[in-house]
Amino acid sequence: MEEPPVREEEEEEGDGNDLGPEGALGKSPSQLTTEDVYDISYVMGRELMALGSDPRVTQLQFKIVRVLEMLETLVSEGSLEAEELRLERDSLRKEVQALRNRGPVATSEVSLGSNKMVVDLTDPNRPRFTLQELRDVLQERNKLKAQLLVAQEELQCYKSGLIPPRETPGGRREKDTLVTRTSNASSNKEEKTIIKKLFFFRSGKQT
Amino acid sequence: MKSTLRPLRPPVSRDRIIASFPKWYTPDACLQLKELFHGQVSSACERRDTGTVGLRLSKVVVVGDLYVGKTSLIHRFCKNVFDRDYKATIGVDFEIERFEIAGVPYSLQIWDTAGQEKFKCIASAYYRGAQAIITAFDLSDVQTLEHTRQWLEDALRENEPGSSIIFLVGTKKDLLSGAACAQAETEAVRLANEMQAEFWAVSAKTGENVQALFSRVAALAFEHSVLQELERRSSARPQVGDAGLIRMEGCPSEAQETERPTSLRCC
Repeated sequence: MEEPPVREEEEEEGDGNDLGPEGALGKSPSQLTTEDVYDISYVMGRELMALGSDPRVTQLQFKIVRVLEMLETLVSEGSLEAEELRLERDSLRKEVQALRNRGPVATSEVSLGSNKMVVDLTDPNRPRFTLQELRDVLQERNKLKAQLLVAQEELQCYKSGLIPPRETPGGRREKDTLVTRTSNASSNKEEKTIIKKLFFFRSGKQT
Repeated sequence: MKSTLRPLRPPVSRDRIIASFPKWYTPDACLQLKELFHGQVSSACERRDTGTVGLRLSKVVVVGDLYVGKTSLIHRFCKNVFDRDYKATIGVDFEIERFEIAGVPYSLQIWDTAGQEKFKCIASAYYRGAQAIITAFDLSDVQTLEHTRQWLEDALRENEPGSSIIFLVGTKKDLLSGAACAQAETEAVRLANEMQAEFWAVSAKTGENVQALFSRVAALAFEHSVLQELERRSSARPQVGDAGLIRMEGCPSEAQETERPTSLRCC
C-alpha cells in the first residue's frame, strides 16, 4: 500500500518532464521536486522577460526570485525529510516483523524482580494450585489411605474366617463353619456383637 | 488369646514376627549392643502388660535428599518391590507395617517424605511425634551424607529432645565396590556417632539389609515405647495403670477403636 505511491511519484516526475516546464505548475504541492521549482522559475523568468524592463517588473522579479528560492528550500528539505522518514519506516517495519516472528517468547522477556515469576497462561502444566490446597489434598489422601488399610485388614479377617460373616445364606453357612475353628466360634460371636455395637454407636454418633 | 486382643486384625506375617532382639549392622555405630530385650520390657511383654503400646501406631519418619531412595527403601520393605523408574514423592506418603514383637502386636507407620526442597514446608509438618527418625543418604554421593545433618536438625526441631531414636541409613549399597563401600561407611560411621545415630548400609534394589534394618527399627522403637509407658505409669500410677488394663481386657475392640483414629489423625 505504501510502496506504489513511490513508484507513482517517479512516474509523475517522468510525466512532468514529458509535459515540459509548464507541467510543474499543474502538480500537487506535496509532490513538487526541486527540478519542478527550477522549471517554474524558468517559466516565470521567461514571462517576466516578456513584460519588458519596467522598473516595477524588476522589483517584482526580485521578490519572485526570493519566493522561488524559499520554495526550493522547502521542497528540497521536504524531500530529504520524506526520504529519512521512509528509511525509518522501513527499518521499523522490519523490526516489527522480527518481533512478530519470535511470538510469545518476546513477552516473557519482560524484566521482573528476582522474587517474581512469569506464568504462561496457555501452558496446560502451569502452576495454579496453592500450597494450602496441596496440603488439604494430601491430608485427605492420607486419611483415605489409612481407612483403606483398616478396611483391607478387616476384609482379610473375613476372608480367612477369623470373623464369621454376619448373615450367611443357608447353603454357605456350613462351609463357613467348617473354615472357622470350632474352639473360636463362641468368642468370635461375642466379638461380632461388640463390633456391631460399636458400629451402630459410631454411625449413630456421626449422623 | 491373641485373637481376642485384636479381633479385627489378621495374623501378622511370619517375617514380621520378632522373637529375639535383632542385631545391629555395625558395632561401631549402633544404639545398643545388647542381644536381648530389656529385662523390664520382656517381663512386661510376658505379662501382656505393655499398656497401649501395642494398640498405638508408632511413627517413623524417613528424611533425606531427593533421589537417595527413601521411597524405594520403604517399598522394598513394605511391598517387596523395586521400581527402577524415579518418581519424586509429592509432599508425603506413608505405609503401615504390623509386627509382633516378643508376642505383643506392634505397628509402625512409616512416613515417606519428599526430598525436594519445594515440599519441605509440607513434609516438615509430619515430623512431629516421631518414635524413630531415619535420615537416608546415597552411599555413592558424599554430598547427600553431608546434608543429613540438616535433615536431622529439621526433624529433631519438631520433636521432644530424646524422644526419638535416630538412624543414619546409606542406600544404593549395590552401586559400590567393596573398597568404595568401606570408605563411604567409615565416613558415615563417624557422622552417625556425632549424631548419636545407628548406622546401616542397605540396597533397596537387591533388598540387602532392608528387612534387618526395619526389624531393628521396630524392635528399638518398641522397646523405647514400652519403657516410656512403664516410666509414665510408675510416675502417675493412679491415673493410667489399672484403668487402661481393665478396659483393654474387658472390651478389647472398644479400646482399639478409640485408640486407632486418634493415632491416625496425628498426621
